[in-house]
Amino acid sequence: MPERTATVVPEDGLHARPGATFVETAAESDADVQVGHVGGDPVNAASMLAVTGLGVERGDEVRVVAEGEGAEATLDELERILTTPEADL
Amino acid sequence: MTRRLSGVGATRTAGAGTAVWYASAPTLGDPPPADAVDPDAEIERFETAREAAREAVRAERERATERLEDAEAAVFDAHVRFLEDPQLAEGVEEEVRDGLPAEHAVDRTLGAFIDRFEGMDRRTAERADDLRDVRDRLLRELIGEDREGPADPPAGGVLLAERLTPSDTARLDPDRVAGFATVAGGRTAHAAIFARSLGLPAVVGVGEELRDVDEGADIVVDGRRGEVVVDPDAATREAAGGDEAVEIRTESVTTADGTPIEVAANVGAAADLDAAVDAGADGIGLFRTEFLFLDRAEPPDEDTQYEAYREALAAFPDGRVVVRTLDVGGDKPVDYLRTPAEANPFLGERGIRRSLGVDADHFETQLRALLRAAAADSGGQLSVMLPLVATVEEVIEAREAMASVAADLDAAGEAYAIPAFGAMIETPAAALLAEELVAHVDFLSLGTNDLAQYVMAAERGNHRVAALADPRQPAVLRAIHGTVAAAEGSDAWVGVCGEMAGDPGLTALLVGLGIRELSAAPAAVPRVKRAVTEVRDTEARDLAERALSAATREDVEEAIRESRP
Repeated sequence: MPERTATVVPEDGLHARPGATFVETAAESDADVQVGHVGGDPVNAASMLAVTGLGVERGDEVRVVAEGEGAEATLDELERILTTPEADL
Repeated sequence: MTRRLSGVGATRTAGAGTAVWYASAPTLGDPPPADAVDPDAEIERFETAREAAREAVRAERERATERLEDAEAAVFDAHVRFLEDPQLAEGVEEEVRDGLPAEHAVDRTLGAFIDRFEGMDRRTAERADDLRDVRDRLLRELIGEDREGPADPPAGGVLLAERLTPSDTARLDPDRVAGFATVAGGRTAHAAIFARSLGLPAVVGVGEELRDVDEGADIVVDGRRGEVVVDPDAATREAAGGDEAVEIRTESVTTADGTPIEVAANVGAAADLDAAVDAGADGIGLFRTEFLFLDRAEPPDEDTQYEAYREALAAFPDGRVVVRTLDVGGDKPVDYLRTPAEANPFLGERGIRRSLGVDADHFETQLRALLRAAAADSGGQLSVMLPLVATVEEVIEAREAMASVAADLDAAGEAYAIPAFGAMIETPAAALLAEELVAHVDFLSLGTNDLAQYVMAAERGNHRVAALADPRQPAVLRAIHGTVAAAEGSDAWVGVCGEMAGDPGLTALLVGLGIRELSAAPAAVPRVKRAVTEVRDTEARDLAERALSAATREDVEEAIRESRP
């Protein structure tokens, strides 16, 4: 199953704009996407409630797993969101 | 431990009291028995509410985009994501299947997340506020409750809020509330303006740190310093609200050299009428008719309006009563008037643009009420003025609308009279065309808040650019001067009804510029009258000349400072 691990760059972590963009991307993808802290339980990446509940902050290590159609392309985009400073999103 | 948070003082007074957060959360009663609930119908209700809430959030984001950095406005994107969250729909469905109505299901589902987030790190805990906002929006849709205003904060409470809409602020009872402070907004935002007419101590635009003030905290709102003081020492609390009393002059006043200056009051709520009379105002220089339209399910009918105008005229049998026709738009929405969300509401369908367009029928009703009130005028001279005029055609068209209403009243055998007729100078276009406008009106009234906003291209509600939207900017003073000069030699009088009219520190400057009518918040009238009596005509003219040749706001302020005895 394709997966990516990234250190979170945006100042807001996975809250506010990066969080909304991240969840929106996962929700619009045909792939089934899960996200979690490295070593933690993964949650549905298309759920803002679940993603917010992870409390992901800048500098955290997160792991994203995708399965299904367009999984790789979705992971590319999600990785970009996780590793791009907020101002450039 | 005393903490001081700085914001923008909206009023020149201070107040002390207990912090009360206004969250406008709708209240839910007990749910009905489970067997009385039809789960499928409830799920449908939830879906409908969710759709409506989503649209409302989108509109909110549109509006926020103009005010905030895009990154900040993006908070509403997160709200949309919360609304569309599969876990929300699943949670609600589960609760509904267990026999709860949709609103209780939403409350319980999101409530669980709110509690959970609150117990986490600071960043996540902050998200609980977002969820509350989302929850309240859904609940309001479901209960069909209009956004509740902060009707009854405990007596002596200081209201704290993200921002207050005009109707929120209008509902505040100055006798109960000690003041308010908001996270967002600038000195000339509506909340601030209304605070002044209510005589309420207020500090706006405090920023995010205001959110850290706990419910029930002891605080002072000091509009003079633009400070919110949390846990003040006794001396600070003592000083709050200890404004020097100013003598009330009920008679009209002149400058020290005998030039008569009319000092009228701005009225934006029924309570302002009494306040204006008590403050010794010579008349009403701005009657904001929006209040008659707010907080209602449908527009006030002709008779209701007629009574309101009659009441204003009766309050000032010897003075002038200047009524501004309905001034609403994207920045001052009224539910039933369908004000569409616009990308730039301040540059959109506002004021006279709506009256001559989408609101033509309301305009006609308002004119009928005004013309009838003018006939029953018991001495006070009723004047009607148009908001946000930008072209001569608008004035001509409004005049024609008035003539046609007069003809209708005539045919119906109703008593009416043609009131005095004026235009507000709020757009640079109107200031530049003042000479052409004067030919069609009896008076011009400078709405300096909007005029400053449009001349300076700086939105008055945006604290980031509030310093630009300042009437002491040389460009704004030149627009005022040009308007006065255009009316010279005509019969039209020129007044100021913007906030600068209420600032005693600017009275001499305005008199020097040739202004003969000042209309201010009732609370400011006594101080302005006193300032008028201290003006020496020659010095005022010298000050105006100096200010008109100033290159910077700094120079203008220096000229004002040096002109003081």
